[in-house]
Amino acid sequence: MNIFQVACKNLLRRKTRTLFTIAGIMLSAWVLVTLLGFNRGYEQSLNENIEGMGFQIVLTAKGCPYEAATLMLKGGTGLRYMPEALVRDVAGREAVAAATEMLMHAEFDPNKGENGGTTVYLGIDPQTYPAMKPYLQFNQGGWFSADSAVEIVLGYEAAELEQREAGDMMLLPGSEQEFRVAGVLKRTGTQDDGMIFLPLKLAQNIFNKTGRLTMLGLRLKQEADQSVFEEELYSLPDVQVVSMAQVKNTILSLVASAKVIVLSIAFIAFLIALFGVLNTILMSVFERFQEIGILKSIGALPKDIFLMVLSETALLCALGSLAGIILAYLFSGLSEMAVRYFLPFAPNGRLIILDWPTTALAFLSITLAGIAGGVYPSLRAAAVRPLDSIRSVD
Amino acid sequence: MLKIFWLLILLAGFAPAAVGCDLNDPDRDIQRLFPGAKVTYKTAYLSLARLGGEKTLRAVEERLGDKFSGLYETIDVPYTLYTLYQDGQLAGYIHGINQKGRYGGLQVFLVYDPDGVIVNFYYQKLTSRQAGKLRSPEFAKQFTGLSLRDFLSYDVLAGAGGSAGAQVIKNPDPADRTDFLATLRAVKKNLILMDLFVFNKGAQ
Repeated sequence: MNIFQVACKNLLRRKTRTLFTIAGIMLSAWVLVTLLGFNRGYEQSLNENIEGMGFQIVLTAKGCPYEAATLMLKGGTGLRYMPEALVRDVAGREAVAAATEMLMHAEFDPNKGENGGTTVYLGIDPQTYPAMKPYLQFNQGGWFSADSAVEIVLGYEAAELEQREAGDMMLLPGSEQEFRVAGVLKRTGTQDDGMIFLPLKLAQNIFNKTGRLTMLGLRLKQEADQSVFEEELYSLPDVQVVSMAQVKNTILSLVASAKVIVLSIAFIAFLIALFGVLNTILMSVFERFQEIGILKSIGALPKDIFLMVLSETALLCALGSLAGIILAYLFSGLSEMAVRYFLPFAPNGRLIILDWPTTALAFLSITLAGIAGGVYPSLRAAAVRPLDSIRSVD
Repeated sequence: MLKIFWLLILLAGFAPAAVGCDLNDPDRDIQRLFPGAKVTYKTAYLSLARLGGEKTLRAVEERLGDKFSGLYETIDVPYTLYTLYQDGQLAGYIHGINQKGRYGGLQVFLVYDPDGVIVNFYYQKLTSRQAGKLRSPEFAKQFTGLSLRDFLSYDVLAGAGGSAGAQVIKNPDPADRTDFLATLRAVKKNLILMDLFVFNKGAQ
């Protein structure tokens, strides 16, 4: 029988204690894996969300509510417009890889609720907008059949509310024309879900906003320096520059403080595992004081005792970590729901990403920390003198 | 069984829900739709999927005389039921459904007394060329006093039949019947669902 088998047998002799120790390590590993997964998932989802907007920079008229939610809160008022010449000038600059012009429009719908409500439209350029938002997928139909087509594309929730499917006709508040529904988008989890899209020229025409634009979405060339380009835009009169990099950095700096707390909790979980193992193994060594003495008196070397106790520690930690990782994978859906519930802002996408580097890091760090915690009890066990242990028998 | 339970738990966070039909501002809307002494209410969310599933859906379709169709009229649509109380006593119910109209969605709410008789009718949302006429108080009044019994023999596809009370409901714009017929289908569906949810639960 080798040292490892002896260690296994020792653990099995005290099943309850072994199980509780494994449970303690398992909980620490679960917390650690989940927090590391969150650390990775949140940032990745945020990046994807911001990149998914398709624009690196959005240019709007100063004070213009460029988000549908803001526009609704303001009762559909407050829209400001940029001169087309200025927009064309920016779109044509050297650093710009792609640009798309948009017109947001809010119309009062007297047949919504008791006192009416606001419907928001987005006039888009059919040639450039779809390419800037490649993540938009269709549930039914597709984009407009022509630039001048009297057609609309509905976000998923807008289509649900209006009970429209591709091919249906629809009336839009603010217009007497009938529009054919060219397509219904899949759910995206963004403001696009509630949006009614129509061709830009048509929107400008029916809402009497010829030559007017509310937004310009820009994507820069890879070699372009975004901060230098933004500085150029800041010098333009009466426009505001919404940089997605800025938005991301603002959110990330807010999240950074939350991350410090999260990692502190992870560190505490780590320490609990370490001291838990140290305490359990030390108690076990004290209980087996005479047993260790007898082992030594029949020929076991201090090195053998040290390895035996350390093997027990390593086994406990490895099994606990493994169980914790399995729990983290099993309950990642529930953990994510809980995180979404408590977080004031959570991006769409996976918030907790568990991949092998995260899992391996958690497994190794918990196991190694546990083993480190087991070194002192192992040394104490190795240092037991057979005579002292035999004399200690009452 | 245990595997299915875990799978459901893990998937719970990712399943997109079908759209329901809630009052925009229940506190204000309920008081307006059910005037009188101060009304308190309880909200319940029901669905055919949870009330017997496919079998119940088929039964509802049979009573309606039409199939549930399209992307949005599905078995998992959550229906919102407002149960109303006045002075601690049951005073009535409010229930709304979404209905496909010619040019957009209709949200038709019916207010019921405790016996299932319609006491008020309300379009929360309506996209129609004849919206002004359909939303008139005169049109809404025609539904007052009617119940499921009046619509049981009403054929939603032909737009004919029903009791004398149902047959006298006038289309405010005879030149365009589509949204009028969609409204009557919505009313009959609303009545059938209320019968299922509240008035005739035991018959499921």
